[in-house]
Amino acid sequence: MSKETKTKTVAVALGVCLVCSVLVSSAAVSLKDKQEQNKQLDRLKNILVVGGLYSPKTDIGKVFQENIRPFIVDLEKGAVLPRERFDAVLNTDDFDIKKIASSPRYGMKIPADEDIAGIKRRPRYMIVYQVIQNGAVEKIILPVYGKGVWSTMYGFIALNNDLTTVEGFSFYDHGETPGLGGEVDNPRWKRSWVGKKVFDKGGNVVIEVLKGTVDPGSPKAAHQIDGLSGASLTTRGVDKLVRYWLGDDGYGPYLAKLRQEGKG
Amino acid sequence: MNKLKKVFWEPVFNNNPIIGQILGICSALAVTSKLETSMVMSLAVIFVIAFSNLSISLIRKHIPGSIRILIEMTIIASLVIIADQLIKAFAYDVSKQLSVYVGLIITNCILMGRAEAFALKEPPLKSFLDGIGNGIGYSLVLLIVGFTRELLGSGKVLGYSILRLETEGGWYVPNGLFLLAPSAFVLIGVLIWLLRTWKPKPVQED
Amino acid sequence: MKTLRKFLDSQEKHFHQGGALERLYPLYEAADTLLFSAGNVTRGLTHLRDALDLKRTMTWVVIALVPTVIMALYNTGLQANGALSALGKGGAEGWRGAVLSLLGIGVDPASLVGNMVHGALYFFPVYLVTVAVGGFWEVIFACVRRHEIHEGFFVTSLLFPLILPPTIPLWQVALGISFGVVFGKEVFGGVGMNIFNPALVARAFLFFAYPGQISGDKVWVAVDGVSTATPLARLADTGGAMTASWWDAFIGLIPGSMGETSTLACLLGAAILLGTGIASWRTMVSVLVGMTSLALLFNAIGSATNPLFALSPLWHLVLGGFAFGAVYMATDPVSSALTNQGKYLYGFLIGAMAVMIRVVNPAFPEGMMLAILFGNLFAAIIDRFFINANIKRRLLRNV
Repeated sequence: MSKETKTKTVAVALGVCLVCSVLVSSAAVSLKDKQEQNKQLDRLKNILVVGGLYSPKTDIGKVFQENIRPFIVDLEKGAVLPRERFDAVLNTDDFDIKKIASSPRYGMKIPADEDIAGIKRRPRYMIVYQVIQNGAVEKIILPVYGKGVWSTMYGFIALNNDLTTVEGFSFYDHGETPGLGGEVDNPRWKRSWVGKKVFDKGGNVVIEVLKGTVDPGSPKAAHQIDGLSGASLTTRGVDKLVRYWLGDDGYGPYLAKLRQEGKG
Repeated sequence: MNKLKKVFWEPVFNNNPIIGQILGICSALAVTSKLETSMVMSLAVIFVIAFSNLSISLIRKHIPGSIRILIEMTIIASLVIIADQLIKAFAYDVSKQLSVYVGLIITNCILMGRAEAFALKEPPLKSFLDGIGNGIGYSLVLLIVGFTRELLGSGKVLGYSILRLETEGGWYVPNGLFLLAPSAFVLIGVLIWLLRTWKPKPVQED
Repeated sequence: MKTLRKFLDSQEKHFHQGGALERLYPLYEAADTLLFSAGNVTRGLTHLRDALDLKRTMTWVVIALVPTVIMALYNTGLQANGALSALGKGGAEGWRGAVLSLLGIGVDPASLVGNMVHGALYFFPVYLVTVAVGGFWEVIFACVRRHEIHEGFFVTSLLFPLILPPTIPLWQVALGISFGVVFGKEVFGGVGMNIFNPALVARAFLFFAYPGQISGDKVWVAVDGVSTATPLARLADTGGAMTASWWDAFIGLIPGSMGETSTLACLLGAAILLGTGIASWRTMVSVLVGMTSLALLFNAIGSATNPLFALSPLWHLVLGGFAFGAVYMATDPVSSALTNQGKYLYGFLIGAMAVMIRVVNPAFPEGMMLAILFGNLFAAIIDRFFINANIKRRLLRNV
């Protein structure tokens, strides 16, 4: 049989396609679990990192299971969403901020004048994590996000159980300029957040990321973070997103409720 | 034996795909800001190119001319998807940084170039070696660029601090340009310059 | 004079082919022709349009730069002294302070001499490093490639310090000029072959490599810990009001790169360059036109959130590096467009691009450097387009 006949052409095409599709699908199927697991571990790792529970030797799944308790919070009401209301999109195992923000049912458009973080849409419900150690709630971890210069920056802020003191701050996804805005990943800068107070005594959001450096003598120093040098726009973005999410449009109502419960 | 040796070494230096033939530049710019990503990318490309050459060469006598390119694309694409899946499963952190660029190996001109120019005509073993040789030629450039960019751009090699940064109490002020993709152009340009000084290309006559 | 001539002539043989110092001929030639007029100058009609040879052209450019150098010295000193006296300090820090007190010059911002000397202590170290390191590369390439050292480097080496902030670390100056000379010029084949203006390539390198030392608000005033953003950056940043008066910006009494702040000095330089016919008025005018039209367009569009939309062309002219770039950089005969029509388009592109980057790009408050490099990139295509169009037209006419 010559190699240019029609039958042969079709046969070879079919044969190659068959072999290739078997190879590809078996690779995809057999590796799927492992990939999902990786994805999940990566997500959990980010949470452990900001909660101060991560070291390279950590058994991520186990530590997470033992020390982290996730909730879904109705941002407007500040109430915790009961488990019965979970569904395929809205649940604590697979909470995808981007997906939920863009969903017509669980997301909402932010009016332009309130949108200081520059994110246009946000979820009505957010996931928050409690860090439990020795049976008591030590910290809570709140996901935050907002616009930098080039990208939307996604991160977490961890607050002490006094709901005011920062315990950790970190971005897990951003596309800022390496060396400038990309310095949001600088461990030293991230450490400088720890111990700062986000609210004043009246419960107003007073945390601010400065354009320059903090004057340690200033009475406001406890509420201020050094800006990233040479990256004033990323700095401003961080400042605004933190203020947005801790404010009344973000976790404000939820935190207020927690505070009341704490007193009562 | 000597012939096989030549098939293998020729694309590493003399006829290097990136700095000799200026193919596959796109990924060389995109994934080389760190040595680790360059290494994983290199392995992926060596794997895909070697096996695409091998399998195309194996069935070369049966590939009808009319659907030649389609068959090659199918094989290359399948191999790329397999490589991508493997990286996602076993090197998740790196796969996040490589993002779409593993998938884009499909469009890497080196692969189609080798399939068309070599594997269709030559026996399997030779094609396989040619594939590995080209993959290594590509990798060599990627590794040099990745090494230089990580060292100068963040003072590290494979994530370990080599030049201690000023911000961490050392002396080295990292060169931000090397973290940006255009710096790879400069480095590849320098490599071409060095290669051409070492082995001048015979002047082509029009 | 004669003995010097004789000495040079007597030494010449060593540098010719076969001589002991053959490879160093470029050095000899440079010394010789700097001191004396070249032995073989054009006498016929080879240079059809101009009686000036390259060496004298460059001399005129250097002369045209003198006003900006003077303003660079004065303003750098003024900014530093102003900041020092605002802090209530009696003297500057470091070796500069020692030199100043040795000379008995204080840090009084009202003293002309005081400002000039203090500025000079910042400008000249940068300049000397530029000349030494850049010159080193020039000599290396001249020796390896066996050509003469080109005087174009005097212009490059004077332009480069003028577009740097006073506080730039000297090692960065050395690295920048090395990159500029080697990758901006020599890899393309040396003087006359470069696509980009080497001084701008050098600055762009530093700008992307070490942004902390060449942008932001800590680098423009040469006093430790004093942060003053350039007016442009402040406008882009805070959306606040303009902090300088237009006249201050015009004369050049605002923070910025050393030589770029004074539009007045640039205008003087422009007069010299245009008077001698060295720079093209077409390029300069069209840069101005490009800037004005886009700035007016942005004024008309307006924006609630971005105050730069409202910045008038008059302000664009005096802020940042616009005037300096338009006069000294865009007109660089090697990297600009060569055809007359091409120059209009080339200049317009630069002017418009500069405003575009300033107003729209969130990360770069200043756009002139990138706009000119961008223009350089397009110069060859622009020329090609007009030359081809011309050929077509003439072909049609002659059918």
